[in-house]
Amino acid sequence: MDYLAQTFHLLRALFPRLVEGFGVTIGVGISAMALALAGSLLLLAPRMAKSRLIRMPVESYIELMRNTPLLLQIYLIYFGLPLLGFFPSEFLCGVVGIALQHTAFLVEILRGGIESISRRQWEAASAIGMRRLATFQYVILPQAFLRVMGPLGNQLIILVKDTSLVSAIGVMELTMVGKMAIERSAVSIEIFMAIAVFYLALTTLLGVVLRLIEQRTAARL
Amino acid sequence: MLNTLIANLPYLIKGAAVTVWLSLIVLTFGTLLGTLLGLSAAVGGRPIRLVVTAYIFVLRGVPVLVVMLLGYYAFPTLDPALGATLGLRAGAYAAVAVAQIVYVAAFVAEIVRSAVLSVPAGQIAAAKSLGMRRLAILAHVVLPQATRLAIPPLLNNSLTAIKQTSYISVVGAWELTYAAREVVERTLAAFQIFLGVMAIYFLICYPLSMLARWCEKRLVVMH
Repeated sequence: MDYLAQTFHLLRALFPRLVEGFGVTIGVGISAMALALAGSLLLLAPRMAKSRLIRMPVESYIELMRNTPLLLQIYLIYFGLPLLGFFPSEFLCGVVGIALQHTAFLVEILRGGIESISRRQWEAASAIGMRRLATFQYVILPQAFLRVMGPLGNQLIILVKDTSLVSAIGVMELTMVGKMAIERSAVSIEIFMAIAVFYLALTTLLGVVLRLIEQRTAARL
Repeated sequence: MLNTLIANLPYLIKGAAVTVWLSLIVLTFGTLLGTLLGLSAAVGGRPIRLVVTAYIFVLRGVPVLVVMLLGYYAFPTLDPALGATLGLRAGAYAAVAVAQIVYVAAFVAEIVRSAVLSVPAGQIAAAKSLGMRRLAILAHVVLPQATRLAIPPLLNNSLTAIKQTSYISVVGAWELTYAAREVVERTLAAFQIFLGVMAIYFLICYPLSMLARWCEKRLVVMH
């Protein structure tokens, strides 16, 4: 009973700081998500271009991002930009690093979704006189969106978990707050359980929201 | 122009060797543990299924860094004598390796479980009606198909796991990424060193990612 009371007391005292760190985690997550989604939409057309010359740079970028650790990319930005005379905040470095890597994964997911729609649907649409853009907008995109939602959601959940890496460059987000609290109090398992609950709540909530969007879209089609 | 990188290359390659070793250990034991968990979740009774599902749910919802930090800080408190005999560094390696194995196993378990469950129930019923035993059905009907299905995602998962080993540098265990940071803090040559180390990771990961893509094309058969 003594142990329980003690732990409860400790966690209650720590709670405001954990919530603050949780806020930063959400901030990093949402900013990186927005950037990565925008970036992937931007790179999608060149990735699917017919010309090899246009496709190549995007393909190499994607391969580079997929085959190197995110932590190194964040370090490269964080330690590299000051050498070029830019001094962005740790927060910005972390967000951009996460967004750059996840952009690569998202482009591949989006491309997979669009390519999974049969060629015959393009042909059928053009046979009834639809233009290419209209076909894409009304025929291909809605179906591709539905197919993409699953993998896209998984990737976004990975993105949320990857926000913990910005603690490595000193952003005071949830993982960092927990780490510091442990170093100060020497209580480890209990504090990490609390952090895990926060992350679990966030990823589960995101998963549920994404599934709802998927179901809504499916119902409308 | 690349002299700093070249001068430090032996040191970095030593780091790469540690990364490769760690990856092999984590992948071997993580895949073994995960396969065991996934299979028992797919064919086992309700209590086993519940436990494994909870294991998968919790670990997949939490960043690997959190699990590793938990391993790192909780390891000595659980057994201080062990930490002392292994020395701090060895203790750190053991703690983070165990944490990564436990984490990777959750992802492997999910892949294996869904691959086994994706074999149509009709086939199992057909095998039963032919008089095959449970174990024979598993060995001759279910597993051959599930393996084909599971290999591409397992390879992709291995790729993620290898890249994840870089995160142990955050906890203070020495490997390639840690070595890179040391060199950069000494020489300030951030671009040379980090890009060079990214190239080393690329050399390790790219063959695996090619293999994964090849398997995706060759092994997955639509039902």
